[in-house]
Amino acid sequence: MKKKNIIQKDLGTKLLRSLSVYGLALLIAFGLISIIIALLGFSVPEALKTLVTTSFKSAFGFQETIKKTIPLIFTTYAFTIPFMIKFFNIGAWGQMLFGGTAVAAVGLLIGNFGLPSFIMIPLLVVVGISAGGLWGWFAGFLKAKYDINPIISTIMLNFVAVLFVNFIATSPTFKDPLEGHPITRPLPSSATLGFFHGIPYSIIFAILAIIFVYILLKKTKLGYEITSVGYNLHSSQTYGINFQKTIMLTFLLGGALAGLGGALEVMNIHGKLIEGFAKTSGAQYGVFGILTSLVVAGSPTGVPIAAFFMAVLLVGADALQRTMQIPVEMVFLSQALIVLLIVIIRKKFEPNGGK
Amino acid sequence: MENKNLVELKNVRKAFGKVIALDNVTFTAAKGEIHGLLGENGAGKSTLMNILYGLYSPDKGEIYIDGKKVRISSPFDSIKLGIGMVHQISTLVPEFTAVENIILGTPEDKFKLPIKEERKKIKKIMKELELTFPLDVKTKELPAGVKQKIEIIRALHKKAKLLILDEPTTSLVESEFRQLLKSLRVLVKKGVTVIFITHKIKEIMEACDSVTVLRRGKVQDTINKEQMTKEKLVKLMFMEKDIKVTESALPKVELPPAKRSKKPVCVVKNIEVKGKEKSKGLKNISFEVYGGEILGVASVSGNGEKELASVMINPSLLSNGDILVNDESIKRLSTLSVFNKGVAYTPEDRIKEGILNDGSIKENVLLGHHTEKRFFKKNLFIDWDEATKAAKKTIKDYNVATPNEELAIRRLSGGNIQKVIMGRAFVNPTNLLITHNPTSGLDVLTVEFIFNKLVETRNNGGAVLCINEDLDELMIISDRIAVLHNGELKGIFQRSEFDKYKIGLLMIGG
Amino acid sequence: MTFITSFISQTMVYATVYTLTSLGIILGGRTGIFNISAEGILLASASTGFVTAYLTGNWLIGFIAGALIGAAFGFILAFTHETFKVNQFILGIILVIFGSGLSDLLYKIIVGVRLSAPQAPHVPTVTIPFLSKIPVISGILNQDVIVYFMYFAVIISYWFYYKTKIGLETKAIGENPKAADVVGVNVKRRRYLATIIGSALIGVAGAYLPIAITGTYSPDISAGRGFMAIGIAIFASWKPQRAILGGFLFAGIEVIAFQLELISANIPYQFFLMLPFVSVLIIMMIFKKQIEFPASVGKPYSRE
Repeated sequence: MKKKNIIQKDLGTKLLRSLSVYGLALLIAFGLISIIIALLGFSVPEALKTLVTTSFKSAFGFQETIKKTIPLIFTTYAFTIPFMIKFFNIGAWGQMLFGGTAVAAVGLLIGNFGLPSFIMIPLLVVVGISAGGLWGWFAGFLKAKYDINPIISTIMLNFVAVLFVNFIATSPTFKDPLEGHPITRPLPSSATLGFFHGIPYSIIFAILAIIFVYILLKKTKLGYEITSVGYNLHSSQTYGINFQKTIMLTFLLGGALAGLGGALEVMNIHGKLIEGFAKTSGAQYGVFGILTSLVVAGSPTGVPIAAFFMAVLLVGADALQRTMQIPVEMVFLSQALIVLLIVIIRKKFEPNGGK
Repeated sequence: MENKNLVELKNVRKAFGKVIALDNVTFTAAKGEIHGLLGENGAGKSTLMNILYGLYSPDKGEIYIDGKKVRISSPFDSIKLGIGMVHQISTLVPEFTAVENIILGTPEDKFKLPIKEERKKIKKIMKELELTFPLDVKTKELPAGVKQKIEIIRALHKKAKLLILDEPTTSLVESEFRQLLKSLRVLVKKGVTVIFITHKIKEIMEACDSVTVLRRGKVQDTINKEQMTKEKLVKLMFMEKDIKVTESALPKVELPPAKRSKKPVCVVKNIEVKGKEKSKGLKNISFEVYGGEILGVASVSGNGEKELASVMINPSLLSNGDILVNDESIKRLSTLSVFNKGVAYTPEDRIKEGILNDGSIKENVLLGHHTEKRFFKKNLFIDWDEATKAAKKTIKDYNVATPNEELAIRRLSGGNIQKVIMGRAFVNPTNLLITHNPTSGLDVLTVEFIFNKLVETRNNGGAVLCINEDLDELMIISDRIAVLHNGELKGIFQRSEFDKYKIGLLMIGG
Repeated sequence: MTFITSFISQTMVYATVYTLTSLGIILGGRTGIFNISAEGILLASASTGFVTAYLTGNWLIGFIAGALIGAAFGFILAFTHETFKVNQFILGIILVIFGSGLSDLLYKIIVGVRLSAPQAPHVPTVTIPFLSKIPVISGILNQDVIVYFMYFAVIISYWFYYKTKIGLETKAIGENPKAADVVGVNVKRRRYLATIIGSALIGVAGAYLPIAITGTYSPDISAGRGFMAIGIAIFASWKPQRAILGGFLFAGIEVIAFQLELISANIPYQFFLMLPFVSVLIIMMIFKKQIEFPASVGKPYSRE
């Protein structure tokens, strides 16, 4: 009985500590933002209200939030999984782009074969996962075999991926001749996913991904090995865990998830490959994937909820710029600031990771 | 009025979180003496001296040098006051030569690099103390004993009047210890005071003019050379603990006559392994380990012992030769497969390579066993219920002080951590246990527990290969001792032939 | 002839950015603080430096502003790392995000959207009489003051690390901070100084982009050079004399890629633009064995 109480008390204090970390960070950040907003001459209560309630005020707001949450879940996982073994996958952006581009290219190439949806969709999903997985695996491989810091390799691969998107979107095979910007022809309808009351069907894949990641990390041998390497690389190696295999696998998994996210964006949201995907939303999802993961200290369990709240703020930022002409960067900076504060405060309160 | 005490620490208190490392300690050392600081691992000796040297700041207490009260907030201050310290683990910059290391931090000529002039000064000090070492070799290439000499010169080059040595004999054999003593006596004649930290009673009695004994952060007593007897010092060190110890303050353990197995459990044939860092690796090593015996492998750090420990469980490191366990070659096996053959391992550095620091005790006990049939289901999943059972059993059998198996292992004391690591080795029946420095840094009761566990394994017919840099330990628990030097096996001693001086000479290539 | 001269001239200009940035990373890295926020600093100092130069009409004040912004970033990095012991890489990533958000915001607010981009004041060129007329050599010598500043910075850094005791101590901090601490070196203070000064150099490089190279600011003006400079610092093994070689190498690759893009018809131009990024990876693969790192990079130091 005594042992159970100790565990409960431990968990209870843990929860309290986590909440106070978030609470304090939010308080400080919102305090600073409010000051800046006021200095710039805007109405603080109105701004804050728009920021946090846009997602819940209308069906449209909620749908937009879900539309942003889904890819964010994928890019957050893409950062989180390698982060568990203390490596930084900055490449979710590129892995997502590569997945989406592969889907667009393949989808357009085989579009004329007249294959039905129930073949096209799973096929393209596999293409997206594989392409993203490959792009991610490559960074893991470069670390395992050439000891190249993944931060650098994934960032370089990001730039390459952006250029690759541009290449596909301007190449005569894929380009839409009617569009002025680099945009491909639309995918055949058999390759696209629709919406259910405004919610994209890709949400099913997001839910599957959440379940997959949970089972993988908590129940499988690979999950145990990933966790162990994250705890202590040397000890894990000493006791037989193959570090090189593990690092390649984590980057493969991260890339695959980001690739799936990209595939779904192309199939469900855009229906084609657009340059804006590469430059704007891709970069955004990549960056915020990292920030979201840092918010939950790289713990996979908190990802879906944290992603949702990040999406709420992103939707709020758009609304703020639309209705009050406050530049979106103000919100982005605040989000970065919040994450910085969370990271700092967490170190102060939980210097040992909170166990 | 000249104060005969060079240094005085008064009423020092230091706590690390909830742990009280030093409780109202008052310590004095007189000028021109070698003053010993004796206590078992964890008694607070290093902490006290680190405070004097400025690396730690005391919660309470005062420091007096030459009768004057001083404030020491960093080594910069203590060096200015003439204090020098040689730590237990080398604090040299591995990429720098001896000269570069020695001149580091001196206040003059910050914007120049006067190597030639400094060299002359250094050579002079070396001559006075009769210490020699290569000046222009990167210190990462040098053995531990030589590095220590460099650190002593480094302190004296900064004009130290007080030299603190923290466990200086960790990497020295008997003959080197005698040499060190000679140099210390020369120093004392020149007016330098020495504080000699150790947990080995024999060294105190041979080297020191007086000794202060610490136990659990409290001063037990300070006595002079005339009053020193082994029994008195043992009593001061351990007080009410009902324990028999040797003169190296290690627990005495009974070793009943060996019932060796007819065939060896492990045969090592002509193995060659590439060296890590400066070590030459292993060259053409052959030996056998039998069931029912403890084979000790003695070496000075850096002579191939790390490679030996690694290759036994990671045969892919072999560049030549073979290793057989129960007549079966393990040359092509992965580490996990080697464990599956009944081989178990406890590494040298428990914190850096033994445990999953933030992991639970349960996750730690599973490490290395996670691909065994018992824990690994359908080639995909981990059976966490079985893992919990194994963890609970280990906690019970090894008296691990913890509320449950979910606790993060890093919250346990060093002794309890080692017990978990040892327990992990016995989750499955073990034919061959390879253990490397199993009791370094542990308190005497845990050392006794571990010794007993090793002897118990031996008595039950298991084979134990104990790679250990502490010759005193090996002489207590081994049936035979093999000596490793420069990657070669220099000789094997039977228990009846054990001689600390002889074995020590072989360890340094004599 | 003129082609070679202009090629050299252009390369030198971009090399200034690469070299100063990687030098800044090296300064901090040698004391153990791996500053991966370089891209963010480049953006923040580019926008701040440009806006300041534009508003004051003075190029020098623009550069000083850029350097100060860089120093501020360096201070935040050192402070959060040393005081709160937060992971350097996490800090670096967050600061990159900060830098890019800040620069976009600043530009939006102060300059806004205009039909013609505002121009920055000109940076004076150093002209050496007589030599400036010789082809090729004029390409090397006829450069603005910041290029000469870059040479100066490299030379001073080399002298510092290899010819002074204080440089030896600084190197020691990077290899084994405990070794430096026990001989009385103030590890914390050196880490702060190195990171702040290094980041100020990166700030100068950032301001150089809009003020001297393009003449105006645009988002993504840094184009990944901050990250490539990290690569340069790594395969220069953190040595200033090698960083300048790396800087020239990458500037050269960038200029060549741009030229190739203009003249090639058959290969899609995107693949030429990929060249610099791929080169970083290829070079790191080739030089894998020769790369040395200061041993303590990435780890906060504490005595207990």
